[in-house]
Amino acid sequence: MIVKKWILLLFLLILITILASCKNQAFEPIQLEQTFIASLNIQDTSLNFIDSQGTILKTWSFDKAYTGATLLGPDQLLLFGHQLDQIDVYTLSTGQKLYSKKVKLGTTNVYYADKTKQFFIANSMTNTVTSFDEHGKELVTQQVGNYPMSMEAFQDHLYVINFKDTTLSVLAMKDLSVEQEWTIPKSAHGIAIIEETNELWIGGHGEGSKPNRTIKRYQLETGALVGEIDTPLMPVGLTKTKDAVLVVSHGHNELYVVDWDGHVKWHLEVGANPFVVNQLQAYIVVAGYDDHTLYFIKNGQIEKTVDVGKGAFQLLVREGTS
Amino acid sequence: MKKVSTRIWILMFLFLIITVVFMYVLTNFLYKRLYVEDTENMMIEVGTKLQTIYTGGRVTDDFIETIENYNDYSNLNIFAVRNPRELSACVPFDIDYATLIGFEERQQLLAGKYIQKIGYEPRFDRQLISVVLPLVDQNRLEGIIYIYYPLAKISELANQEVIFLIGSAFLFLIVIGFGIYKGIRHIMRPLSDLQLAVEQMSQGNYGVRVPVHSKDEVGRLSSTFNTMATSIQQEDEAQKTFLATVSHELRTPISYVKGYSEAIHNGMIEDAQQEETIQLIVREANRMERLTNELLQLARMENEQTDIELYPMPLAETLRDVQAIMSQQANKKNITLMLEVDDTLIVEANELKLKQIFINIIENAINYSYEQATVEVVAQSINHHAEIMIKDDGIGIASEDLAHVTERFYRVNKARSRADGGSGLGLSIVEQLVKQLQGTLEIKSEVNKGTVVKIRMPLMEE
Repeated sequence: MIVKKWILLLFLLILITILASCKNQAFEPIQLEQTFIASLNIQDTSLNFIDSQGTILKTWSFDKAYTGATLLGPDQLLLFGHQLDQIDVYTLSTGQKLYSKKVKLGTTNVYYADKTKQFFIANSMTNTVTSFDEHGKELVTQQVGNYPMSMEAFQDHLYVINFKDTTLSVLAMKDLSVEQEWTIPKSAHGIAIIEETNELWIGGHGEGSKPNRTIKRYQLETGALVGEIDTPLMPVGLTKTKDAVLVVSHGHNELYVVDWDGHVKWHLEVGANPFVVNQLQAYIVVAGYDDHTLYFIKNGQIEKTVDVGKGAFQLLVREGTS
Repeated sequence: MKKVSTRIWILMFLFLIITVVFMYVLTNFLYKRLYVEDTENMMIEVGTKLQTIYTGGRVTDDFIETIENYNDYSNLNIFAVRNPRELSACVPFDIDYATLIGFEERQQLLAGKYIQKIGYEPRFDRQLISVVLPLVDQNRLEGIIYIYYPLAKISELANQEVIFLIGSAFLFLIVIGFGIYKGIRHIMRPLSDLQLAVEQMSQGNYGVRVPVHSKDEVGRLSSTFNTMATSIQQEDEAQKTFLATVSHELRTPISYVKGYSEAIHNGMIEDAQQEETIQLIVREANRMERLTNELLQLARMENEQTDIELYPMPLAETLRDVQAIMSQQANKKNITLMLEVDDTLIVEANELKLKQIFINIIENAINYSYEQATVEVVAQSINHHAEIMIKDDGIGIASEDLAHVTERFYRVNKARSRADGGSGLGLSIVEQLVKQLQGTLEIKSEVNKGTVVKIRMPLMEE
C-alpha cells in the first residue's frame, strides 16, 4: 500500500512538473501596437521588453541557454543558442511558441530579411549559412568561411563576416551562391551598409592581443578598402540610422555617432562593456553587458538608465502598429 | 600462519607509516598556511596600496609606468593590464585567445573583489601564487593589477629538502622498524619458549621446564606452566609406581600358586605335605582375590564419589554389629574388644560403608596389637558431630610413615608385609569411604605405645 502511495505521489509530482513546464512555454503577450526595445540578457537568459519611456513592460525568462534573438517581422521572435540543437519561434502577441525546429549545434546568428521574408542561420561548426522561408522551411545551405557570424542583407545580396577567418562572403540571397569573397581582418564583428555612399562598414575586436581601434570602410560593389574610422577600442556594435551610424566600442565603453563621410560627430563614454547599440524613436539605446544596464541617450546626454537582466547582449527594436 | 610477533610488528609498522604520512600532510598544511598564506597576505597588502594610485577613468600610461617602476624595486612581480581582451571583455564572443583572467574571475573583479590564485598559470608556464586586484570605475573594469610570485621558487627551495626529507623518513622507518622487530622478539621470546615446551610436553616429555625471567603476565604464565608440569610429572610417576606395585603384589601370590601347584603336579611334594601345600595355595589365591576386590572397590569409589545416598542411622547398632563380626578375630589373639557408645547418636551415613570403615580400622588395630591387649572403641557426640575413636596399645606407626599410611600399597614395615597378610589398600579405602560419607579421618600414633584413629561423622540434623 505504501509503495502504491509513493508511486502515486511520484506520478503526481511528474505530472505537476510537466504541467508547470508546459505553462512555462507561454509568456505574457506583447500587443502588436506596442513599441518596444527588447534586451536579450545571455547570463540569466531573459528578455526584457521596454517601452520608449524606459519602463520594463514584460520580462520573459527562459530555462534554455539562448545566446541570440531575431525578430521575424512584426510579431514573431526567433530564439537560438550556440549550444542548442533547435531554434524556437514565438508569437509576441500571444506569448505562445509557434514552432521549434531542429538545427545543428553551433548557431552564431540569425538574420531576417524583411524584403524576402526569409531568415538565414549562420553555423560555426559546419561553417555554413542556411536559408529558411517565413514558415521555417529549410531552403538552401551554403558553405562559407570559418565561423560565419555577422550578417546583413542589401538588395539581393547577403554579406556574411567569417569571424575566425580573413574573409567576408557575399552570397546571392536567392540561392546563397557565393558571389564575392573580400579580404577583411580577423575577429571582425558588426556590419553597417550605407547605401547613400555605397559603402559597407565593419567593426571588430582585433586579432590576438592587439585590440582593433578602427572601423573599416569597403566599397559595396568591389569590396575595396576605402578608409578607416578611428573609434577606439574594439568597435563591435554597428547600427545604421537614417542619418548616422551608431558605433559602440566595448574596449573603451564608448559610443560614437558617425556621419556618412566617416566623421565622428560626437562620442560619449557609456555603460560597462557595451556590445550593442540601437535606436528607439528619439533615443539612442546602449546596453552595458557588465553593468546590466540600458542607457537611453538623447542629444548626447544620458537621459535615463534601466536595469535589465544579467549580460545584456542584444537589442531588438519594434515599432508598434497602430 | 603468521606469528603473533609478526602481526604486532606489521601493525606497529603500519602505525609508523601512518604517522609519517600524517606528519608529511601536516607539514604541507603548515607550509601552505604559514608560508603561502603569508606571501598572499603580503601581496594583497602591496596590491591594495597600489590600487589607491588609480583614481578612476581610463588606465593611463602613467599608471602602467608607475606600476612598472615599482616592479623594478620589488621582489614580487607586478604589472598592470588594461587590454580589455586580457580581461575577458570579449567573453560572449568565441575568441581564440587565452585571456589572463577568466569569465568567473571577471565577474568577481567587476564586483570590486580581488582574486587569489595558486597553481599552474599557462601564461607564465609555471606554478604561481598570484593576486589580481581590479581597477574599477563605475562598474567598468578598466584594468587590473596582477601580482605574482613563482611558487616554484618555494618548492625549488623545498625540493632539495624533499629528497632529504623522504630519505630520512625512509631511514627512520627502517631503523624504527628494526628496533620494533627486535623489541617484539625480546618480549615474545618467553612465549615462544613456552610454546616449544608445551609442544614437547604433548609428546610425553613431562620433565621439560621453561626459564622464568620476569614477573609480568608471560613470566607468571611460565611459572604456572612449570607448576603444572611438575604436578603432571608427579601424577605420571605415581601412576607408574601404582602399576608397578599392583603387578608386583599380584606376581608374588601367582608365583606361589604356580610354584606349589607345579611341584604337586610333578610329584615333588610328599603326600604328607600335600595337604599343607594346598592350604598354602588356597591362602595365596584368597589373597589375590582380596587384592583384586579391594582394587576394584577403590576404582569404583573414585568413580561414584558423589552419588552416595546418605540417610539417618543409629551409630550404636552398627558398632555392635561390627563388634560381633570382629570378636572372633580378636579372640584368636586374646584381645579384648571394648565398646563404649552413646545410644542416642544418629548419624547421616550409609550403613554398609560405615561398617566397612570400622571393620578395616578395627582389623588393623587387632593385627598390630600384642596378644591379650585391649582395643577400645568409644563413640560420643562432640560439636554436633559423632566422634568414633578406635584406640589400641599396639606397635604404633613412626611419625615419618604416618603421613603416608593412607597411600595405596604403602606399608609401614615392608618386610612384614607378607606375614601380616595386609594388601596395603585398607586405609586408602577407609579414607575414600570417609570422604564419601562427608566425614573426617584423623590418625595419631606413637611407636610401641599404640594408635588412635578418630572418625568424625555428621549427626542427623534435628
